Amino acid sequence: MANEVGQLDTSIEIITPENIAFRYRVAGPFRRLPAYLIDLAIRGFVILAALIVSLIVFGIVGLAPMGFGLVLVLWFLLSWFYGGLFETFFNGRTPGKMLLQIRVVSVDGQPINGLQAVLRNVLRTIDMQPGFFCVLGLLTATMNNRFQRLGDLACATMVVIEEQPWLHGVVRIQEAEVARTAAQIPANFEASRTLGKALAAYMQRRRTFSWGRRLEIARHLGEPLRERFDLPAGTNLDLLLCAAYQRAFITDHRDEADPGGSPFLQPQSPFASFDQPAPASFEVDSSA
Amino acid sequence: MKVSDLLESRRANWRELEQLCSWMEGHARRRTAARTVARFSALYRATCADLALADAYQLPPGTIQYLHQLVGRAHNQLYRTRTFNVDTWLHELFVAVPQRLFADNCLRLAFVVFWGVFLLSGWLAYYTPGFVERVLPEEMVNRLDDDFSEPITGSNLETVVMGGGKAGFYILNNTSIGLRCFAGGLAFGVGGLYLTVANASMLGAAFGYMTNSPRADNFYHFVTAHGPFELTAIVLSAAAGMRLGFSLVDTKGYTRLAALRRAANEAMPTMCAAMIMFLAAAVIEAFLSPSAAPYPIKAAVAVLSSGMLMFYFVILGYPREESP
Repeated sequence: MANEVGQLDTSIEIITPENIAFRYRVAGPFRRLPAYLIDLAIRGFVILAALIVSLIVFGIVGLAPMGFGLVLVLWFLLSWFYGGLFETFFNGRTPGKMLLQIRVVSVDGQPINGLQAVLRNVLRTIDMQPGFFCVLGLLTATMNNRFQRLGDLACATMVVIEEQPWLHGVVRIQEAEVARTAAQIPANFEASRTLGKALAAYMQRRRTFSWGRRLEIARHLGEPLRERFDLPAGTNLDLLLCAAYQRAFITDHRDEADPGGSPFLQPQSPFASFDQPAPASFEVDSSA
Repeated sequence: MKVSDLLESRRANWRELEQLCSWMEGHARRRTAARTVARFSALYRATCADLALADAYQLPPGTIQYLHQLVGRAHNQLYRTRTFNVDTWLHELFVAVPQRLFADNCLRLAFVVFWGVFLLSGWLAYYTPGFVERVLPEEMVNRLDDDFSEPITGSNLETVVMGGGKAGFYILNNTSIGLRCFAGGLAFGVGGLYLTVANASMLGAAFGYMTNSPRADNFYHFVTAHGPFELTAIVLSAAAGMRLGFSLVDTKGYTRLAALRRAANEAMPTMCAAMIMFLAAAVIEAFLSPSAAPYPIKAAVAVLSSGMLMFYFVILGYPREESP
């Protein structure tokens, strides 16, 4: 369905080998620039520390130029291969990217390989042109829908946001009046798919609305519902939506009745239940 | 069963998958027990199934978003980056790259441009007195004069100690020039071409100027040994960059993006070969070139390294019958 309307925002769809389509949000410059600056700071700090340590250690032995040479080699490695090596061995992440919760993946959602990781970091040089202002990279990123800079385009990678997700379950309703309103809704009420979606979307945002705003928004859906349920004209439409939501998502009047009518009674996924207990430790048992 | 009950029954699985993801992010793959991996994949498949059926289950949008993020996170733990495979890279470096370069028009072009400009600039610097000052900055000309005013007589110990520092500098400086040449090539080949011409004219001017000066012997005493590797490496990185840039111009029937991707996969190993040459050149330049070793030894190193390069480009690169 998403493909028909095309991409509206920064989320893109990936189809996995398991034939599951899921969505990623691609990271824009406002996440990637801080990540880069953090990496830059880390690099500078490491070089400075290495310089001090090596000058002290090698200076005592009287081989100061040798220590300086080692630092220069380190500088070379860090300035060209820091990103590439981290992204190869840390699954598409540098320390800066870890902090900003972003990750480099291939455009098809697969992980990147070492060649892609190194190449996209070497090509950063051209993205930073002219000067040090990243103009070329920013311009390129605005011209495609995955925020890819030239280096990303050349090796078919993109940067996605990978946040620790926060489970938003069903919204709990505290208001006592809701239960009363719910009781007035006919027992045969069943929310269609689109109605369910609209109710859930309203309930999720409801808490952030003021009282008047709730009524104003609820009117569009609440008025037709009130007429359908034959409720009196003075009904609080906000509470009516809450009640409909409660009936659709939380409580069921026909708890014991209606075998097989709902697809949820017998979960069809064979993995839905797990009898085996979770292992206490995920680590390899060293005693075995 | 209502959505809330469904969520309640799945919540434990999802939470466990989250914990497993967090654990795997912080630990090496080989430390993960087989039992954990099996359980992880079972949980991942179950969550994938939940996501696929989310619409049928009428899950709230917030939960669906959560599932998208959770599946994405688990996906990235299940499918991880492939690191460098030594066999693949050796094959790429010693079989595929020379074969490719033998028939590579970009290498021919880079070769002709670099050496053409180099010889022209050297010829001009040799015969035209004021030329070198126009090409090279004044301080560089002065440094050339100063550095080679005395015969090269580094004592052995001193050479080794100083060599360590110089090797670092040459690796940093020269290889960075090469990598910049390569990346600059992406701008339709123009950036790389510009850098190649600039490098060639400066090097040519220095060579022409020094050849004409009374210090020519000292100069060649220094540059002979590492010359072959270093100059070849510059040409090679320019060629790799041009391969990137010209793929955008002559796409061979692909879209420009696809052509660029194909070229990038071919050009990166070439650039690796160039970096190895830069490394070899830096070590020779730091340790052998400034030492007091007699000229025949340095010349022998130059001949040997040229021979290795010929072997690499001609013998390894000569077109072979492809096995079907």
